Amino acid sequence: MKRYHILLLYSFWIFAFTGSISANPGETGRFTISGHVKDAATGEVLIGATVFETSLKSGVATNPYGFYSLNLPSGSHTLRFSFLGYKTQNKEIDLTNDVTIDIALLPENSELGEVEIRSERTNDNVIKPEMGTIRLDVNTIKHIPALLGEVDIIKAIQLLPGVQSTSEGSTGFSVRGGNSDQNLIILDEATVYNASHLMGFFSVFNNDALKDVTLYKGDIPAAYGGRLSSLLDVRMKDGNAKKFKATGGVGTVSSRLTLEGPIIKDRTTFVVSGRRTYADLFLPFAKDKQVRDNKLFFYDLNLKVTDIINEKNRIYFSGYLGRDIFKNQFAEMGFGNTTGSFRWNHLFSSKLFLNVSAIYSKFDYNLGSPTGDANAFNWFSNMRDHNIRLDFTYYMNSNNTLKYGWITTFHEFEPGTARGTSSASIFTEFKLPAEYALEHGIYLSNEQKIGANLTLKYGLRITAFQNVGSGTYYRFDSLFNPIDSVVYGKLDFFHTYKGLEPRFAFVYLLDEYSSIKGHYSHTRQYVALAQNSTAGTPLDIWFPSTPNIAPQVADQFSLGYFRNLLDNSIETSVEVYYKKVGNVIDFRDHAQLLLNQYMEGELRIGKGYSYGVELMIRKDKGKLNGWVSYCYSRSWRILKDINDGNRYPAPYDKPNSVNVVLNYTVNKRIEASTTWVYASGLPVTFPTGRAVIGNAILPIYSDRNAYRMPAYHRLDLAVSIKEKDKHWKKWKGEWNISIYNAYNRKNAWTINFEYDPKDIYTTYAVKTYLFSIIPAITYNISF
Amino acid sequence: MVKDIFKAENRVNGRLFRKLSLLPLMLMLLMTAVSCTERIDIKLDDSYTRLVVEGQLSTDTMAHAVVLTTTTSYYDPQAPPPVQGATVTLFDGKDTTYLTETRPGYYMTEPDFYGVPGKNYTLNIRLREPIGGHSDYSAQSFLHPVAPLDSIGMQFHGDWGSKGVWDVKCYVMEPPTVDYYRFLIYKNHELFTKIIRYWFVTDDKFFNGVYAKGATVSYFRQDNEHEILNAGDTITVEADNITKEYYNYVLEVQTEVQGTNPLFGGPPANVKGNISNGAIGFFSTFDLTRKSTITPSR
Repeated sequence: MKRYHILLLYSFWIFAFTGSISANPGETGRFTISGHVKDAATGEVLIGATVFETSLKSGVATNPYGFYSLNLPSGSHTLRFSFLGYKTQNKEIDLTNDVTIDIALLPENSELGEVEIRSERTNDNVIKPEMGTIRLDVNTIKHIPALLGEVDIIKAIQLLPGVQSTSEGSTGFSVRGGNSDQNLIILDEATVYNASHLMGFFSVFNNDALKDVTLYKGDIPAAYGGRLSSLLDVRMKDGNAKKFKATGGVGTVSSRLTLEGPIIKDRTTFVVSGRRTYADLFLPFAKDKQVRDNKLFFYDLNLKVTDIINEKNRIYFSGYLGRDIFKNQFAEMGFGNTTGSFRWNHLFSSKLFLNVSAIYSKFDYNLGSPTGDANAFNWFSNMRDHNIRLDFTYYMNSNNTLKYGWITTFHEFEPGTARGTSSASIFTEFKLPAEYALEHGIYLSNEQKIGANLTLKYGLRITAFQNVGSGTYYRFDSLFNPIDSVVYGKLDFFHTYKGLEPRFAFVYLLDEYSSIKGHYSHTRQYVALAQNSTAGTPLDIWFPSTPNIAPQVADQFSLGYFRNLLDNSIETSVEVYYKKVGNVIDFRDHAQLLLNQYMEGELRIGKGYSYGVELMIRKDKGKLNGWVSYCYSRSWRILKDINDGNRYPAPYDKPNSVNVVLNYTVNKRIEASTTWVYASGLPVTFPTGRAVIGNAILPIYSDRNAYRMPAYHRLDLAVSIKEKDKHWKKWKGEWNISIYNAYNRKNAWTINFEYDPKDIYTTYAVKTYLFSIIPAITYNISF
Repeated sequence: MVKDIFKAENRVNGRLFRKLSLLPLMLMLLMTAVSCTERIDIKLDDSYTRLVVEGQLSTDTMAHAVVLTTTTSYYDPQAPPPVQGATVTLFDGKDTTYLTETRPGYYMTEPDFYGVPGKNYTLNIRLREPIGGHSDYSAQSFLHPVAPLDSIGMQFHGDWGSKGVWDVKCYVMEPPTVDYYRFLIYKNHELFTKIIRYWFVTDDKFFNGVYAKGATVSYFRQDNEHEILNAGDTITVEADNITKEYYNYVLEVQTEVQGTNPLFGGPPANVKGNISNGAIGFFSTFDLTRKSTITPSR
């Protein structure tokens, strides 16, 4: 049975592969227009730009590599190339054979070229069969007020309806009530396992190195899987193909420098971008000698090289390296991600696009005491992914676009080793056994236009997850006590999970300005994060599904109404969703998740469900732009062994939330922006009684998450001022001034119940809040 | 906020190296710079009243106590009410010992009583009136023998903190069995670690079956007024070989007494003791070993 299943998997894939390779290159009387859409100023390819045939109303969007392909009948056509923030270009063409058209779009604010091109508004959001999908361009993100002036894409996506931060100032996020480990975060196809710096206050993404950010809240494309809640697809810049350029900034907490340019003009480009915080650089001036030796900083380094070998082949190398380092006289700690991806785009024909990726991703941490005496020790943990994927896009005809591919990942987990570092050490080595697993996926999906008003997107992803030796597998009794363990030899495939993940979406156009969309998806998640606190720490480890832990599964349904007003200048949408999660993981009371070989015995498995409605009004163009959203959402869990089996609110259940993001262009030099967020407080467990134990007050608690923190709200302001252009100045400068938490709301980070140390019977509640009003200033420069 | 740091410190140290306690301290450096605390009013509901039991039996020859109280509402400004007039007995598998209520809620053995390693003890309580729907409660605990401490030592770290830190270390041949320890510290023969949050409990994960030479069991921070040590002060370390259940219980109580934050630890949860019928508290039995040393001059 097992063999049969695997065979089916591969034959399905081979069928899809050979099917399109050998497909008839052209139906009679039809030809294909293909090419890349670029930014005219920098040569960067544009992701998601629209190519639209105006009379047939047939269109396609560029893929993540800027490529498009459109099959049309012979004859004359008007093609419209458009992208948000760029001037739309129309192109007349008389189609008599297959042609390649590369288009360079001018940025709207560019001073390049005096050609008068009208900027058109489009109804892309209404016609695309995409739901719960939001693309943010890096420019929009740059103007959103940021904590300490550090522009951060994850903080920006937390302002979207259905996305919540996990705690104040944190880059952890919850999508539609899910856990933060249910988001797949990829940077140029490489998984980023821990996207946070400095206890989560900053993310690993340096905005200067990025081009495009897309969040899929529900309708995750069949090409991706392995997480239940969302996909955050982050793409790095390719580098300026026209000229060498440097941009940088000096901010309140960090400085940045990005260099980019052509190595071989219009063929090979590079971008290298670095960022480092520097609070610790002032430590040497401290009076206290111990403080002078402290270290507390993080850095990021992004590198990308793109080479256009010829019209049919392009290669990309992207790398990321980031690390946080803390050190004082007692302890040192480091953690960070390393990712690398090598990609090759190949065009078999103007209709068949292939991307091959080889990807490496690593997250590791170490901590220890550097004292060198008998107490000195080192503790380290890491996980690595080695990943190969093939992704085909077959632009079959103007009504069908087929995507299919195969992905295999080899996961390595080293959950933790601790040992003394000195020869006189008092500690024996303690090592948790390493775990290995293979994760496979193959998929096939089609986007099919049926008539003028209906577009369907349907697909199937087949996944398998195999535990591979060498490894130690512990068995537990019904009370979660370990009974025995089985040791498996090298390359012993000792357990396999497999499953089907169907995806379906439709859009039905009611008229040119409105549509109804719907979606269903089934997702499966084979790895999870052992994180028991709301914000988490870098020490939290990822662990694979094993015979003890079945993969988490989710079914999500959503339905939406999209309507554009005032000739597409205002976009509105209403989306409702229902999500059912099976095998949801939570942890027993007082779980011990670190350095515990029986960690699996601390897990409890149950089910969950969430539902909600998301309203959004968005205006992308004009002097005043931005969005306002409201979301009502609930998220529940039911686990037999937690809260006496009664339903309780999931950790990130926030029923009401409002986001306001407004940006106002005062004039060519000055831009002002503001954000206001409101969210119900997180659910919490509070005491409903107490006992005196060991001369201390022991709280007796309510049901799990029966109470709620006070509501969270905050106003941020920012203004950016470009320096006047002076002919003698070679550079362009820009000041960014921001105020975080402008009306100084004391939002509770945590609420504790304490007793008076002088009289333990006097008890009271104490709230801790993190950020009061925080101004920040950043100076950005480019030349 | 400084208080929060020590909460986090204590939270971690239970099962990991004692030294790790310093880690969250650094991680929270950033937060100390930006965070503040203030009292707020939170209305809380009341749940039903439960019996609270604190009972200990060691191998010392003395009057051992079982203390009975009840839970109260969270903001109750008084000491918990004692539970009087109960019948409290200890059973060692053969003999039953009756405890006498010497003051309200305190039930004592005779002063010549002592626990014997290798025995399984049962505590039985019968209340005059039911609490939380039950009148009869019981608990069992095995008394594990302890390997005697070889010696203890003290080391002064002059460069730690603003006034230095005394580091109390113990030397012991740890047996190959899986063991759990509680360390209590006495200063000049008076119990110094009176409050449960200052107890140090550990498993033997990193020491099992080896000679632990100089494992730190306590610190005295000299910048903290009540921890100041003078040359000539007698410091005594008591090592108790406790049961696994009691070890978990102490860690859980420490966690709950110290409060929560979004970084460390899971959601708050009720602590499970070993008393039947939903009572709060624990009946623990343990063998103990003590060693003393005189604080040297620096």
